Amino acid sequence: MFDGALDKYLFVYKTRIIRSFTYKFEVYGNILMQVIIMITTAFFWKALFGSETFGNGITADSMLTYTVMSSVLSVLFTTGVERRMQQSVEKGSIAIDMMRPVNVFGVFLAEDLGSLTALLVQNLLPILLLGSLLIQVPVIASPSAIPLFAVSLVLSMGINWLMAAIFGMWAFTAISMDALFQAKKHLIRLLSGSIIPIWFFPKWLADILNALPFVYIYQLPLDIYIGSATDEEIYSRILLQLVWALVLAALFCLLSKRVLKKVLVQGG
Amino acid sequence: MKKIGSAFAYYLGVTMCNIKMALLTIVEYPSNILGWVISNPIQFLLGFATIKFVVEQFGGINGWSYGQLAFLYGISVLSHAFSMIFFVQGWFMGFFVIEGEFDRFLTRPLSVLYQFFFTNINVFGFTDLIPGILVFLYGCAKTGFSFTASNMVGIMALLIGATLIRGGIYILLGTTSFWTKSANDFGQFVQEIFDKTTMYPLSMYPEAMQLILTFLIPIGWVSFYPVSELMGIETAFSAGGMGVWITLGVGIVTMIAAGLVFRIGLRRYESAGN
Repeated sequence: MFDGALDKYLFVYKTRIIRSFTYKFEVYGNILMQVIIMITTAFFWKALFGSETFGNGITADSMLTYTVMSSVLSVLFTTGVERRMQQSVEKGSIAIDMMRPVNVFGVFLAEDLGSLTALLVQNLLPILLLGSLLIQVPVIASPSAIPLFAVSLVLSMGINWLMAAIFGMWAFTAISMDALFQAKKHLIRLLSGSIIPIWFFPKWLADILNALPFVYIYQLPLDIYIGSATDEEIYSRILLQLVWALVLAALFCLLSKRVLKKVLVQGG
Repeated sequence: MKKIGSAFAYYLGVTMCNIKMALLTIVEYPSNILGWVISNPIQFLLGFATIKFVVEQFGGINGWSYGQLAFLYGISVLSHAFSMIFFVQGWFMGFFVIEGEFDRFLTRPLSVLYQFFFTNINVFGFTDLIPGILVFLYGCAKTGFSFTASNMVGIMALLIGATLIRGGIYILLGTTSFWTKSANDFGQFVQEIFDKTTMYPLSMYPEAMQLILTFLIPIGWVSFYPVSELMGIETAFSAGGMGVWITLGVGIVTMIAAGLVFRIGLRRYESAGN
């Protein structure tokens, strides 16, 4: 029975991959955007660092790797779930989504995984290549960090998706989501270390940010990648990352039930 | 002469009506504007945090102290805000071309470009002014920039010129839709490029890029050259003490060029239904 259920999601996953390969402009658009961000940020770090070294042994070179990898990771953190929810609430098609004999959020997840699979080829590879060519080949600080990087990256993607899904649930109550989408995008950019690593911030601010889930999206995997933290630090931070993933998952389960009930009342 | 005068008065009257309508929309949808009041300033926090927390630790960037950078940043955000209020429509010109929205404007006895921009004045743009004013004043305080009469006039000329440069570039890019017949949604790219090239010193980019952004695409004049001069920082191309006025001139020329290209483009407009 479980196998049968999974088949449905696999089908959604597959159709999404096929669909993704038919929309071209969005794909090139994102590559262009990421390349602009990568290059301008790289020049900023170059001008700023010169030949200086920052407190925790960071040089201009490690910042360039950080910049390229941040753009590469941003592809993995692409989610469609919040827009999808907003559109389906706005058009009322959420009712049809819910009539289907599958979990709505399961479908959204399968769709996002499908898009992501297509993006690996369409976006991640080109960005990695262009970054390596135009800026610097992003080499991981030490090969032994690869497993830890992989673990924290998977957790990052989980946290990122859950945050997007929870955020998207606002669509059920808010009238216009455009401003909120922008606010979320900029907040994540600011607080997650995607552009500025939070170790540049004053200690009090960095401490606050370390307690919030945002840094566990970009900052932790990137820190592992460029080797800017000790092993002990990384272990304790991965543990915190896991805690946040679980907290968000619990919150997601709680809210998704409530939100769907609310739709049923409206539609009845 | 009298005819031009009455035409001007007519346009002014219509503009007043449009502003009134724009303000009424705020009253109509207060929650909508509240969202932008929160989200637009957040966007500029990132840049300010970069200057405040990162550059401050290194002392400066390319000879710019962090107070001077705040000043530059303030000017950049302010001109962005004004361009959002008056010219953001340029970002969506492609959709107007594809959907045949210009039909409506073509039948009215007003300039099409005027109607395109001023029928919907973007009241949300005003929310961008808040962070702009704050960072600008912060930069003024840090650099000891004094508000003498000549400085005030200079800043005004600079902001008008910078806004016209941005607006002109939006129009030129939007106008490409008349030829490509597709809705090129370039807004976010342009915003990103403008942010990175006007909020930080242009001198940190390679020389070829600086040349392009000085002579080919006049982005350097939005903030970098005039502000360098106001702050007393040497640049590769000296403006000879006329920086803010050159910006104003470049702005007017860019806008006129954009208007001409728009008129040529409009001749290719095919209306809807294709």
